[in-house]
Amino acid sequence: MLKIIIPTIMLMPLTWLSKKNMIWINTTTYSLLISLISLSLLNQPNNNSLNFSLMFFSDPLSAPLLVLTTWLLPLMLMASQHHLSKEPLIRKKLYITMLAMLQTFLIMTFTATELISFYILFEATLVPTLIIITRWGNQTERLNAGLYFLFYTLVGSLPLLVALISIQSLTGSLHFLLIQYWNQALPDSWSNIFLWLACMMAFMVKMPLYGLHLWLPKAHVEAPIAGSMVLAAILLKLGGYGMLRITMMLNPQTNFMAYPFLMLSLWGMIMTSSICLRQTDLKSLIAYSSVSHMALVIVAVLIQTPWSYMGATALMIAHGLTSSMLFCLANSNYERTHSRTMILARGLQTLLPLMAAWWLLASLTNLALPPSINLIGELFVVMSSFSWSNITIILMGANITITALYSLYMLITTQRGKYTHHINSIKPSFTRENALMALHMTPLLLLSLNPKIILGFTY
Amino acid sequence: MNPLILTIILMTVFLGTMIVMASSHWLMIWIGFEMNLLAIIPILMKKYSPRAMEASTKYFLTQATASMLLMMAIIINLMHSGQWTITKVFNPTASIIMTLALAMKLGLTPFHFWVPEVTQGISLTSGLILLTWQKLAPMSILYQISPSINLNILLTMAVLSILVGGWGGLNQTQLRKIMAYSSIAHMGWMTAILVYNPTLTMLNMLIYIMMTLTMFMLFIHSSSTTTLSLSHTWNKAPLITTLILITLLSMGGLPPLSGFMPKWMIIQELTKNSSIILPTLMAIMALLNLYFYTRLTYSTSLTMFPSTNNMKMKWQFETKQITLLPPLIIASSLLLPLTPMLSILD
Repeated sequence: MLKIIIPTIMLMPLTWLSKKNMIWINTTTYSLLISLISLSLLNQPNNNSLNFSLMFFSDPLSAPLLVLTTWLLPLMLMASQHHLSKEPLIRKKLYITMLAMLQTFLIMTFTATELISFYILFEATLVPTLIIITRWGNQTERLNAGLYFLFYTLVGSLPLLVALISIQSLTGSLHFLLIQYWNQALPDSWSNIFLWLACMMAFMVKMPLYGLHLWLPKAHVEAPIAGSMVLAAILLKLGGYGMLRITMMLNPQTNFMAYPFLMLSLWGMIMTSSICLRQTDLKSLIAYSSVSHMALVIVAVLIQTPWSYMGATALMIAHGLTSSMLFCLANSNYERTHSRTMILARGLQTLLPLMAAWWLLASLTNLALPPSINLIGELFVVMSSFSWSNITIILMGANITITALYSLYMLITTQRGKYTHHINSIKPSFTRENALMALHMTPLLLLSLNPKIILGFTY
Repeated sequence: MNPLILTIILMTVFLGTMIVMASSHWLMIWIGFEMNLLAIIPILMKKYSPRAMEASTKYFLTQATASMLLMMAIIINLMHSGQWTITKVFNPTASIIMTLALAMKLGLTPFHFWVPEVTQGISLTSGLILLTWQKLAPMSILYQISPSINLNILLTMAVLSILVGGWGGLNQTQLRKIMAYSSIAHMGWMTAILVYNPTLTMLNMLIYIMMTLTMFMLFIHSSSTTTLSLSHTWNKAPLITTLILITLLSMGGLPPLSGFMPKWMIIQELTKNSSIILPTLMAIMALLNLYFYTRLTYSTSLTMFPSTNNMKMKWQFETKQITLLPPLIIASSLLLPLTPMLSILD
């Protein structure tokens, strides 16, 4: 695993020592090379994990997430070039350093073997993200957004630290290789109920669960494009990944403790999808759509069946790519009109037809059109929740419909219809932007040819 | 101040603390405390103003009261044990009075009221000595009597200190008062673990001194004592703003910075001793501290705070030298990976 971590750490000296006209080229190229190295991890021969050392491992769940993380860094760098072009050189280098630092922590989080190490790195991802949101965001609301982001996550995760340490003092070790063999049923007591809550709340806040999701629209909207991309695509998946790992230890309390969270998620996905139909702010729409998709992942993880785990993993990867692409598309609008209001940049298909093609593909994958991996994820989750309880099909069906509704609403408002007179002087699409969209879409479409890579460890 | 006089006074402060830390006779410890107190009064009064006089008087009165309480505890210990050697204090009355006296010296709740007011009234350098060096002597005595301290009293004072340190700092814009409340909260963390594992108290003290030294050095460099004047730092020395950001987040206890290490270790020790609610409560209340540190970073590092054009000229004056800043920055932010080295302290 050091073959991925050390190059990522070395991206930081690379930015500081590069010449002024080479910083973007160097960092994008080398981060693409690092993502090529990480592709080799997708070769998971069996359900067991590939152990690289005592500290790092990869298994069929963490490998796709790791590949997604390393794939996104060059995309984030490509997306940030425009809005940073007017900044002084040192600030550009600082931004890239923050991204590289965040990337290092994310890679180490997804491959950590020891749960306390996972926790420390999970918390460590907060600091660069806070700095990116608060320092490089564009509106005054970014200060509030950073505070909400930091404190929601920390209040949820400090009980997790205490819970992990108490589990360690009881069982002796929190190493994944050992826990999977020592796993025994948690005895039934009030303190174990609080232990369950302490373990899960951190990830619920991160996912986010419907009642604790207030930080997400703020943080996603106020962050600059790379911040939005990394937040939507990967940081939310940290919550899902953590939940998938830690529920292994938390049986049988999960059988009854999961009910409130299942109810919140099932209701929340409908509520947040419906709110999307009323949004005027494009980034806010995409943020709420992230909450809705992640609610599906929470339902899948809490049901704990093999099919639902497959659906959760596939949905996480698919949503990561789709949501990141939607944020890039929204950003291409924002860079031209400097406004996130949807109706201010409408009828774009006439002016930017190729970008309209990317908008179409992104919206179609967002509404889970077959045969994309979004559909595979959602379908598995719907099927497994139907088998858990027949009534959920009503809510799930309603959610799929409303998702289709708001995705098409977003597509039609921004692309179709007559364009307004005030946007006929926008710059045409840059090759960089088209390349960005293509690099998002190609893995998404190619994965529909071989989805078993992303179906996780219950395949 | 005349350099020779300053040297003598600083030497006396140093000698006082050393006598406290190195003695085995209770009377010598009391003498060390008094020597320390008397010598630090001129340091606190370095800039001669009514406010500094008020601060020094408050400091003298509280510390003298604490020393008298300490003397009473020593005498009671002498009466019951018949000897002056410093060991664990067997008599509960003497132990309680001694704990309260040392808490008064450290500034633990409910004896914390002097800390913000004294720290505010004195110059930044004197405040630095007050909040770092002066904590060493009482903490060393607490370390030595730790087996006999009444757990209930100590834990109550610790938890209340963390609460007061968190809530009290919320409404402050004066940097010295912020550092004072931060000191109260950190003292709370240190004393909470004293009975279970005193080594961690020393670790927390070390990391706290590093971080506080760094913060004060950065404040002295930009000569700022209020949030507003600190927010002009981006005009004068933009690198300092980054250092302030890192150090403040470290003081708040965010991983992966070294300020997380003492909190993590303390939570681990407390949890191993089967207290679960207490560390959870302490950790959540430490978030209050993090809030006002983050607010400070917002005005200093993460925004370019509005300033007049005069501010941009300040860089032309000669820059103050910050002693030992690079090692301090490293110690206050990058030590977390060295946590396994704690095993050498066993």
